[in-house]
Amino acid sequence: MADLAIAPAREAAPESTAQLRHARMLSVGARCALPVALLLGIGFLAPLVAIFGYAFATPRSFDVFTSFTLANFATLFDTTNTVWLSFFWSCGLALLTVAILAVIAYPIAYGLNLVFGRWSALISVFFVFPLFVSENVRLYGWVLFFIKNGVLDGTLKWLGLSGGPEVLYTPGITLFGMVYTYLPFMLFPMTLGLALVPRDLVDAARDLGAGRLFIWREIELPLAMPGILIGMLLTFVLAIGATAEAKILGGQSIIVISHDIEIAFTYSQNWPLGSALAVLVTFFIGALTLFALSKLDLDRMLGRR
Amino acid sequence: MAHISRRSVLQGMGAGLGALAAAGPLFNANKAFAAREKELNILCWEGYNSAQVLDPFRSQTGATVKAESLTNDPTMINRLRAGEINTWDLINVNNPWARKVMLPEKLIKPLPKAEFEPFFAKMMPEFKWPYKWAMSEDGSELIGMAQRFGPYSFVVNTDKISRKTAEDTGWDLFNDPALAGKYGILESDDWNVFNIFIIAGIDPFKVHTPEEFTKFEETAKRVFKGAKLIGDIASMNQALISGEIDLHMTGGTYSVSPARADGHPNLRGITPLRGPLPGGKGGIAWIEITSTVNNPNLSPLALDFLKYVQAPDVAHTVAFAEGTFNPVAQMGNKACFDLFTKDELDAIQWDSLQEEMDRSAEYDIVPDYDKALDLMNAAKRLRG
Repeated sequence: MADLAIAPAREAAPESTAQLRHARMLSVGARCALPVALLLGIGFLAPLVAIFGYAFATPRSFDVFTSFTLANFATLFDTTNTVWLSFFWSCGLALLTVAILAVIAYPIAYGLNLVFGRWSALISVFFVFPLFVSENVRLYGWVLFFIKNGVLDGTLKWLGLSGGPEVLYTPGITLFGMVYTYLPFMLFPMTLGLALVPRDLVDAARDLGAGRLFIWREIELPLAMPGILIGMLLTFVLAIGATAEAKILGGQSIIVISHDIEIAFTYSQNWPLGSALAVLVTFFIGALTLFALSKLDLDRMLGRR
Repeated sequence: MAHISRRSVLQGMGAGLGALAAAGPLFNANKAFAAREKELNILCWEGYNSAQVLDPFRSQTGATVKAESLTNDPTMINRLRAGEINTWDLINVNNPWARKVMLPEKLIKPLPKAEFEPFFAKMMPEFKWPYKWAMSEDGSELIGMAQRFGPYSFVVNTDKISRKTAEDTGWDLFNDPALAGKYGILESDDWNVFNIFIIAGIDPFKVHTPEEFTKFEETAKRVFKGAKLIGDIASMNQALISGEIDLHMTGGTYSVSPARADGHPNLRGITPLRGPLPGGKGGIAWIEITSTVNNPNLSPLALDFLKYVQAPDVAHTVAFAEGTFNPVAQMGNKACFDLFTKDELDAIQWDSLQEEMDRSAEYDIVPDYDKALDLMNAAKRLRG
């Protein structure tokens, strides 16, 4: 028992300079957290390392880490490969989603901050609530709404009209689905961004004779920009990886990049090609994110209030 | 005794964790060795993973039974190839894979013939011993058990296209420009490769010439471009019922039976009267074979489960497991057949099952599948 007793502080003190430096580097808390941090780190890194390893493996094989080839990347960059079409659709739809959401979410975010007053919390809940239901279920719900003789078409016919528009299974409805799905991810960062605009500044500008448009352009927008940009970034990153909308609502009228990756891992059973595609997309999104974040002053956004 | 400080305890913990991490796989393996008596893992097509099938077996054996369903054969087989051979006990895939791929690659192991041969006597006549797909290529080993099967070509809404017209016109329906935008394609790419070949007038189950591939590519582009939607079984049935589409490629009893059982007998799986398959056959049929995985520590329950699903009542439950309804080979046994109601027989198109099977070639492996699939995927991208 005596051996197990906590050693006197003097004896526990670092015995050499190297140990002293080591002790200063990591606090007790950090050292205690190390095993868990290590486990989490491995959990985070292992799939990425596996995907990265597979990207350089012999095509249509499982020789991960035992073979090295650039053939998968060569296949992707081959000019006859139409995979760029999927990439084009994913990027295009993600950009459009971001642009449409910025226009839709801004007035709502403004309202949540300044107009809805005590109703703001309730309205926020309405926007969050759909997130509790699986995305696929919600999208199938929209199919039932838009399908021939479905909710919309059936109701219009019942009212004696000619029926609803034929919108299902098109790229347009895919975009609609993406806008619908990712609205909360744009709305809440934007709301936070707008909440950080000091009202005093706006009042002062108004007192000094600035017009509404001027105040919006010179004060509100620049000060809310970190929130807006984070919302845009978040939405873009999520939207570029979206598949369910193009599959369920769009009826695969277009093939998006993540669907191409999925096909490579399932029917094609070409894990190396799927991995190479995943690595390319990850690098593309990663580079874009780092670029956008380098333009953002997070401290300014989070440091206030 | 060595002096223990907080640091040395932490160091010890670190070393211990390291050792534990290194010994992890061994540790798991030991645990697995000890626990397999009451554990069964099944890799299967949709249906065998349903509670209706598994729960009675669970309560009968007190075992933990896990089943994962996937919707294509190569994915399941590659799970074994990628090292999951130690995880699974049973694998349920379409007919050719056990005999032509999994046994030669030692992914599955033979069944004790004496124990399982008697079951074949109670199956439908075409499954009588020695049933080709249940045996190894040389016929010496029993490598799996047959149960669910069915014809699988395409599905029409008979209110829009009569059964007679559909059977007679066959795959040319998808060559008809008037039907562009009125058909869907089931997202089942291995079958779609077969069917694009057949629509192009080519037997899929052989090595193809460059000219045939050119024709395949042209056909794939045209057929995919003309499709109103590509989707899963639920989407196809929903689109047929709502009137969005009149027919869909790749489908049959397996896909349409839930809609028929739901009160839509006008939707029907069609097997064309003729086609480019050997013997002038126009359709393809699948037969599932369930095999024991070559797991070094195979659960003893694997064989018990294979026997369990042969019982008439369980075979009937398998036929009508949630999600998809299918005929089963055990319907050759009157005790099993009598359990099927008239509505159930109607849902699985019992009235035409025999003639449809006779008009179908059996599912097989396309030797140049990878190339065909790449061409088809490229064609799919051009839809937009």
